[in-house]
Amino acid sequence: MKPEDRIEISIEELSLSYNVRKSKREGGNSTFLALQDINLQVREGEFLSLVGPSGCGKSTLLYVLAGLNKKTSGCVRVCGEEINGPSLHTGIIMQAYALFPWRTIQKNVEFGLEIKRTPKAERAKIAAGLIELVGLSDFAGSYPYELSGGMKQRIAIARALAYDPDVLLMDEPFAAVDEQTKNLLHEELLRIWGKTNKTIIFVTHSIEEAIFLSDRVAVMTPNPGTIKAVIDIDIDRPRAGEVKSSQEFSKYRSRIWQLLQNSAEMTDDVKTETVRHMLETRPQEAII
Amino acid sequence: MIYKVFKKSVVIAVLLVLWLIVPNFVHSMFLPPLGTVLKAGGGLAASGELWMHVCTSLKIAFAGLMISTVIAIPLGIILGWFKTVEDYIDPVFQVVRNTSILAMLPVFLLVLGIGDASKYAIITWATLPPTLINTIQGVKNADPVLIRSAKSMSIGNIGLFAKVIIPSAMPFILAGFRLSAGISLIVLVGAEMLGARYGLGFMIFNYMHAYMIPNMYVGILSLAIIGMIVNSLLVMLENYLTRWREKGVGVGA
Repeated sequence: MKPEDRIEISIEELSLSYNVRKSKREGGNSTFLALQDINLQVREGEFLSLVGPSGCGKSTLLYVLAGLNKKTSGCVRVCGEEINGPSLHTGIIMQAYALFPWRTIQKNVEFGLEIKRTPKAERAKIAAGLIELVGLSDFAGSYPYELSGGMKQRIAIARALAYDPDVLLMDEPFAAVDEQTKNLLHEELLRIWGKTNKTIIFVTHSIEEAIFLSDRVAVMTPNPGTIKAVIDIDIDRPRAGEVKSSQEFSKYRSRIWQLLQNSAEMTDDVKTETVRHMLETRPQEAII
Repeated sequence: MIYKVFKKSVVIAVLLVLWLIVPNFVHSMFLPPLGTVLKAGGGLAASGELWMHVCTSLKIAFAGLMISTVIAIPLGIILGWFKTVEDYIDPVFQVVRNTSILAMLPVFLLVLGIGDASKYAIITWATLPPTLINTIQGVKNADPVLIRSAKSMSIGNIGLFAKVIIPSAMPFILAGFRLSAGISLIVLVGAEMLGARYGLGFMIFNYMHAYMIPNMYVGILSLAIIGMIVNSLLVMLENYLTRWREKGVGVGA
């Protein structure tokens, strides 16, 4: 990190624990440490991925940044402001698209602007521009059910961009689309990122995806959720699909793979607990 | 298109033809021929009597339905959102709902008399449950992912209800409303039969007592036609307001 870079996100000594119900036989509650002593700084315009297995707390961390999860201790700042609830500094894009089915594509993109009380004409103009940016102008008047999964996710990106947040938070956005579409969306995302200069935090369990997209990859390990290492990805941009078969790419891949392997000795106990917790807190996303 | 119209109308046409034929074999007291009924209908329409009964019934049914809807939707939203309130209210509600509405009719007549007030009250009472139950279900069914997504954009509580929870409950609310509308006519006719001086229910019962059977059938036929028109108008409204839904995916009610 160069000293002249502006820090957009700063996380210091962040911890987050949940009360987890024990089995009926044991009774009572136990504390589950979802995140422990997270320290991370992200500079303006950076693309950073969080990778790790299910239950390592990567999504939990993302939702803390979005102001949707309450931290237990530590300090989280986005654009210099401490995060204590949802803010318009961050825009989140979820795996399940979360488009409003009763709104047309145009109106979906305008949603955040309505909350921000942007005048109607301006709202329409901004939304139209963003729908064009993600290449779906022909569908502005359509309803979400008429779109494919990949298209819906592009609209979700447009919607998050609409109210102009400084940071885009993406929670496994491409996990539900097929491989080919995913590759197209990767290139599309990088193009949009290049155009908008947003800071992006991208959660994924795919190592390849993380390396291909990111400036840096934070490797997270579970029980308790911690950042084990942050790796700089020094692959020249713009990156094309072929880069994935290059030698340096596979070097990064095996390095991250090893970091994850070393910490993979999760006990079965922790696994069930984690899964149960995820089912309880994110029913919809867990099923999808 | 032609096939669709054919499918929808053929059975009704057959029944009407039967109505033309069958009365030749039974006593005209039980089932006068369709022609006689239509002629009687023409007479009642011309004298303005039919129109007065229809208007009275529609006015009361509509007003009662509106009162119950204005109560049911906000109440349903509250009960659907605040689980604890629902836990308290639900037992009372179940008792009320499972007591036959017609059994309650004498109570309303006793307290409010045979004027319009008792009719408004009984219709409000009878049409409240379907809309209320469906609104509660609709609110409970609001997708938590959508709520979360809206919250991430710093939406306020009022905005959350107006822009997320109510629109997502809308298909349920509309289906409930359509049920309520159907019930409003059924219950009104019952109420008018037991105590009233105007209205289609009164008309049907009155002509039965007077042995003017064709006129009685005019009343029944009018009810059938009104019921169908109201229902298809509501289906159209429903389809328009929920045009964002994938066709062929319905909600139960």
